[in-house]
Amino acid sequence: MVDVSTIYLVAGDTVEAVEAELRDTIEEPQLVDWQTQWQPALIETLRALAQRGVPMAKWPQSWHWDWRQKRAGVAGLLAYPGFSVVAQGVTQGLAQIDLTRSARAPEHAGKPFAYVDYLEVAPWNRSDLGKTPRLKGVGTALLSATVALSDQEGFRGRIGLHSLPQADDFYRRKGLTDLGPDAQYQGLRYFEMSEDHARAFLEEE
Amino acid sequence: MRLDRSKDWWVKRAIAEGTATVGAGLLARDPVSEVDQRVVPLEESRIAFGRFINMMRRQHGLSIEELADATKVDTSELLVIEEDLHYVPGPRTVYQLARMFDVPQPRLMQLAGLTAANDAGLAEEAVRFAARSEAVHKLTPEENAALAAFVVVLSQQEPKRPT
Repeated sequence: MVDVSTIYLVAGDTVEAVEAELRDTIEEPQLVDWQTQWQPALIETLRALAQRGVPMAKWPQSWHWDWRQKRAGVAGLLAYPGFSVVAQGVTQGLAQIDLTRSARAPEHAGKPFAYVDYLEVAPWNRSDLGKTPRLKGVGTALLSATVALSDQEGFRGRIGLHSLPQADDFYRRKGLTDLGPDAQYQGLRYFEMSEDHARAFLEEE
Repeated sequence: MRLDRSKDWWVKRAIAEGTATVGAGLLARDPVSEVDQRVVPLEESRIAFGRFINMMRRQHGLSIEELADATKVDTSELLVIEEDLHYVPGPRTVYQLARMFDVPQPRLMQLAGLTAANDAGLAEEAVRFAARSEAVHKLTPEENAALAAFVVVLSQQEPKRPT
């Protein structure tokens, strides 16, 4: 049984509210969206970026994006607890949570928490590629859902994640503790959210 | 699991996201190209890149912190760029710096070691530039001239692009 919450995002250009669904699972239609819509959009953008700086002699014949690994990883999402945000008829963001790990930061070291294994917004919702995102708030919604899940599991909202470089500042702003680059995760910075910050994060008006 | 909050609650948080692109986990990372991983930057180019950024910054009368602010690049990364020859900056950083100093991004990418050198000319000029510049002291008239000449080289020679 899938629980669906009504949430709101905003349009990237007009800041008007856009109704969306927060679904407490990832299902086949989301993976189809990922493959048929996210992947082509991202390839297109990455190509445009690459064209600005890569010697054209190497392009495009010998240019192989390493999609095998990513596609295999996404295909595996069905087996884990996750969240998806759906709006305007298409999947806008995905997250997969691991509830079997424990926290590292001194204030709650060793305690169980919700580890964000994967969190990604659709390529057209990204603002780091020089375009105005179609929708804002997708990542925040997925993060909110993770904190709420942690709370529901009795973990008091504690969460942890390995941030993408373009998201580091966002997590710091949200009060997550920066525990530095993690060599085991290709140098991605590791962040944790404490119980106190989780409470503030989910606080109602 | 349901999460019930008011429309206002969601909208406020969506707006607060600002220009951040939220993501987490190795799987969310952009796939890397096999070509990038094969690139071995020229040592001379890298020296020239660090020197170039250092001198452009000083010519603009900026501190590292001010440059970090203006380009949205971490202060720590700028320090490493100017001081560590072995550091290869990310494409975004180079892009921001190219925009800041108004030089062609593909050329700066090549200088930074992000893309393979496809003409010997730039590498040669880079060596000459690196040899003429001094990393720490105040920008001398000679350095200013070397910098100006190098900017001309950077801007003039577009890499040859086979069709």
